[in-house]
Amino acid sequence: MGSVKPTSVNLSAVLEGLIEAGVDFILVGGLAAVVQGAPVTTMDVDIVHNQSPENIAKLLAFLKSVDAFYRRPDDKRIEPKEDDLSGMGHTLFTTRLGPLDVLAVIEEGKGYGDLLEHTVEIEFRGHTIRVLDLKMLIQLKRSSTDPKDRQRLPVLEETLRQLEEEYDREQNNYKKNDGNQ
Amino acid sequence: MVKETKAKYQSGVDKGLVAMFLRMSPEERLQANDNALRAILELRHAYGQRKTNKRKFKRSS
Repeated sequence: MGSVKPTSVNLSAVLEGLIEAGVDFILVGGLAAVVQGAPVTTMDVDIVHNQSPENIAKLLAFLKSVDAFYRRPDDKRIEPKEDDLSGMGHTLFTTRLGPLDVLAVIEEGKGYGDLLEHTVEIEFRGHTIRVLDLKMLIQLKRSSTDPKDRQRLPVLEETLRQLEEEYDREQNNYKKNDGNQ
Repeated sequence: MVKETKAKYQSGVDKGLVAMFLRMSPEERLQANDNALRAILELRHAYGQRKTNKRKFKRSS
């Protein structure tokens, strides 16, 4: 087991750092489910990043600023390089703020451009972040072979059900009030 | 009460917990996750320490 640990784990700070560094990304994975109301706990931040050269430069600068290095089972300390972030793979880092997974694509080979239309914008500490919507998260997790994803699925589905119920209730109230005027 | 609990878990999901999380703002949810994460890591650390202490105890006895 590797003994190099992050000096703290503060996933909100990882997110805030990415935003302040001007990195263009979509929040996916467990934290995307958390911010949309699913009562699950997640240990890392998963993002799909825009792979434009400017954005990769910003992301790399951010990673360096938080002392990022590859998360590995041994203690070898390998720092991120530009080429790693422009490839199609998953790059998993330990940072001094907490673990951060930078993904070029997620399930079904979907990348930043494919996912954009399935995002919701969420206000976070005075900034706006793009988050993969719950419907799409559920759709992707249904095809996942990861047991952790399969286990979480009922919680995500229940969260979406309650969200839609609330939306319908609000719509009905709006219609009722509109009809009374 | 038993009936209520049964209904709550029928789908294997604690619906009340979902409702509670939906009442929070996104920032509050992130904070809750961070707090849970810190507690998990603290407990894991404590468990690791306990195992180390046990080994030490065994060695000295």
